[in-house]
Amino acid sequence: MSQRSSPGPWFAAPVAIFMLVCFAAPIFIVAWYSLMPSRTFGLTGDLTLENYRSAVTDGYTRPLMWSLIGAATTTLATAILAWPTAVILHRYAGRWAAVASALIALPIFISESVRLFGMSVFMMPRGGILAGTMNAVFDIQIGSILNTWSAAQIGMIYIHLPFMLFPLLLGVSLIPADRIEAARDLGATRWQTFREVELPLAAPGLLIGMLLTFVLCLGANAEAAILGGRAVTVITAAIEQRFNYAQDWPMGAALTVIVILVTALIVLPVLSRLDLNRLTRR
Amino acid sequence: MLHDTTHITDRPVILSLAGLSKTFGTLKAVDDISLSIPEGEFLTIVGPSGSGKSTLVRILAGLEAPTSGDLFLRDTQITQSPANKRPTAMVFQSLALFDHRTVGQNIEFAMKMKGVPAADRRNRALELLQLVRLPEDYYSRPVTQCSGGERQRVALARAFASDPEILFFDEPLSAIDYRLRKTLEVELKELHQRTGRTFVYITHSLEEAMVMSDRIAIMQSGRIVQTGTPAEIYSAPVNRFVASFMGEVNILTLEKDTGGKQVFSEIGQPVQAARGAYAMIRPEALELGPGEITTQLTVTQRLMLGSRTQVHLVSELGATLISELPGTAPELDIGTTHPFSFSTEDIAWMDE
Amino acid sequence: MTRGPHTSALQALWIVLILGFLYIPIVSVVLASMANTRYMRFPHKVWSLDAYRDAIASFTTWQIHSISFWIALFVVILAVVLGTLGAVAFARYDWRGRGVFQRLLVLPIFFPQPVLGLALLLSLNAVGLAPSWKTAIFAHLVWIVPIVTLVISIRFFGYDPAQEEAARDLGANRWQVIREVTLPALWPGIFSGALFAFLLSWSNLPLSIYTSGPDTPLPVWLFSRTATNYSPLVPSVAVIGTLISALLVLSLALILLAAKRVRARRP
Repeated sequence: MSQRSSPGPWFAAPVAIFMLVCFAAPIFIVAWYSLMPSRTFGLTGDLTLENYRSAVTDGYTRPLMWSLIGAATTTLATAILAWPTAVILHRYAGRWAAVASALIALPIFISESVRLFGMSVFMMPRGGILAGTMNAVFDIQIGSILNTWSAAQIGMIYIHLPFMLFPLLLGVSLIPADRIEAARDLGATRWQTFREVELPLAAPGLLIGMLLTFVLCLGANAEAAILGGRAVTVITAAIEQRFNYAQDWPMGAALTVIVILVTALIVLPVLSRLDLNRLTRR
Repeated sequence: MLHDTTHITDRPVILSLAGLSKTFGTLKAVDDISLSIPEGEFLTIVGPSGSGKSTLVRILAGLEAPTSGDLFLRDTQITQSPANKRPTAMVFQSLALFDHRTVGQNIEFAMKMKGVPAADRRNRALELLQLVRLPEDYYSRPVTQCSGGERQRVALARAFASDPEILFFDEPLSAIDYRLRKTLEVELKELHQRTGRTFVYITHSLEEAMVMSDRIAIMQSGRIVQTGTPAEIYSAPVNRFVASFMGEVNILTLEKDTGGKQVFSEIGQPVQAARGAYAMIRPEALELGPGEITTQLTVTQRLMLGSRTQVHLVSELGATLISELPGTAPELDIGTTHPFSFSTEDIAWMDE
Repeated sequence: MTRGPHTSALQALWIVLILGFLYIPIVSVVLASMANTRYMRFPHKVWSLDAYRDAIASFTTWQIHSISFWIALFVVILAVVLGTLGAVAFARYDWRGRGVFQRLLVLPIFFPQPVLGLALLLSLNAVGLAPSWKTAIFAHLVWIVPIVTLVISIRFFGYDPAQEEAARDLGANRWQVIREVTLPALWPGIFSGALFAFLLSWSNLPLSIYTSGPDTPLPVWLFSRTATNYSPLVPSVAVIGTLISALLVLSLALILLAAKRVRARRP
């Protein structure tokens, strides 16, 4: 029976107010700041779109491009790595699969500064874990990709793999085994079964995983700093520079707004189509 | 069906409903219902889904407030008193067992709320386990480890534990398989007889209601359209809705032919002394061979029902009828036409 | 479907490779921590745990851990309160606007964290608040509250709301319903929510780095020392910090297990 006066809104209110103050308001303030004249520190100047114009003309499209490329590459790579992993873990649901899933989940809770640091000592030239071992055991000298964009890219794939894997595992578990068997029985090849049955059924999980990975990578900064040796400037690094060294808050704010807009453009259409009840009900 | 109901109607009224209504927006879920329930009665409210029967029982239990009307427990007005203040208990459709608790903790819940000491609670819970025929060692078993039938019994024991004057049942047997349901129906009836409590039972199955109840109230679109003993309802349904609710019956429509005579429009046969606009004829009353009112019918389907055979028939005017015959009725091959008849004594007349 | 022994072995190998990819860097940190030289020269000539001794003796180690701890503690408390209420609105009741509420609430999860951190930093400056460990709490909450809400909500979807009505019907008042029915049913969700909140706050870098101001939580310290001023102290502190969170999780799990035993033994 539907009740007219549900207490739902009362329970929603504290969270809603918190999010309004700590999430919506800051975004609004940043948006307002981005309309202030360059290098001002108040919110009372004349509104201008100058910052957005210089964002394009002063070469800030490059950091944004790098961030987008990094995010796209990572999303694709983690999806390719995570799909077979999820399928295998789901198919062999048992004690070992549970242990493996737990082991995959664990790194999410280890700080990314710890894990990226580990990646860097592993990749380090000469005395690094990999190079040192190769030298000592096999007497082979190997170079290092540390401080290149490739290293940063590997770091991003490494950090975000669990974020892709878990939604995907949820998605794959939405595929009833009999559907795959039915498709095979009806004469579908392995590839057809994947494309026509498995992929559409697991789509919600895959979509969330890709969305999460893409968005998190869009802002990723630590990978480029620790592993990439700042060989490439990503958008977050550019914003940080505007804020800290250049002391140009309105410009930094404009760049932030651009990233938020790009994020919204990607997230909102997908999120509006997802049925959150269906996903969490499992 | 033998039902001696005089002993119940003599008893004092325990619950009276006076013009109860409940509206959700523009929808009238419960529409001006008045009803008196005598102490110790097993009353079943039957209706299809959406008829408002669940809303009605929720109002009676105090889980929902009526939009208008009054509710009296004996002579006390209890319309506004909340569920936890009423001496009633409900067995929910989902059973609503506390899944994080054991069988014993579920049963003891009401006593715990009243502050009954743990030892007394335990004794009473063990008694109740016996009452609902569950072994004592179920006391410490988590309810999540109980089977469907066992969960039913736990829910029943839990409701009894609050020592309620009236028990409400909101379709608790609807999700149970046929055989177990039959067993539990009989047990519930026995429990009613043994405990002498007032039971108000909600169901969409008239068959279930017939088996258990002293009295049946039939609900349609928020209103009670008929109340009566199972026998009364069976023999004299008040309208076509109630008649069709009873399962497969033949309903014939009366009309005047060109000569002003009354005829059944489905079979074209005249009838004398019609006492309503519609006639209900049970399948077993439609017999093979000529009789008082005879018509030629063609067999379209034959279904074996164990010791009986059900045949689906079509009249020359294209109307479908059903007949149930003893034995296997070997002569009734599909496609053959035979005379069928019924007598006016077997007709239940209805006005609407 | 037929599965040969080769496919099985290949699949097992795949899982091992993925786990290797995920754990090689973590193992590397442990290996790096066992050096006593200023610069990384693997394999170490001398394997030693000196760095751990130094780390434990260092005041900085205690300071960064205590900052991280206080942030995480407040995050846990606030996130559990907000998340539990949020979950009730998210999953328990059907109300007008619930769909919008659900979507808006998960938005912060799908938001680049460093960008959120920078936006918060700018807003703090704009309203004249100095960033410190206290402001970092709120930054963490923006990201963690939605996650905790989701974690607790999952409990609700297996929950029969009629249980609450049954409790009312059996004589429980409003508070008794919450204490006897709702909270016990939610408890596992609340517990995992608290655990998530602690671990995610304890390990967070991208939000802390911009919003904690002069107070340096553990991940931020590690990040800055990795980039500049490296010594074996860095990996040893990293290991210690990770072990502390692991120990905390483990001891909580043990306490819970013990509590369950005690409850089961009670008649």
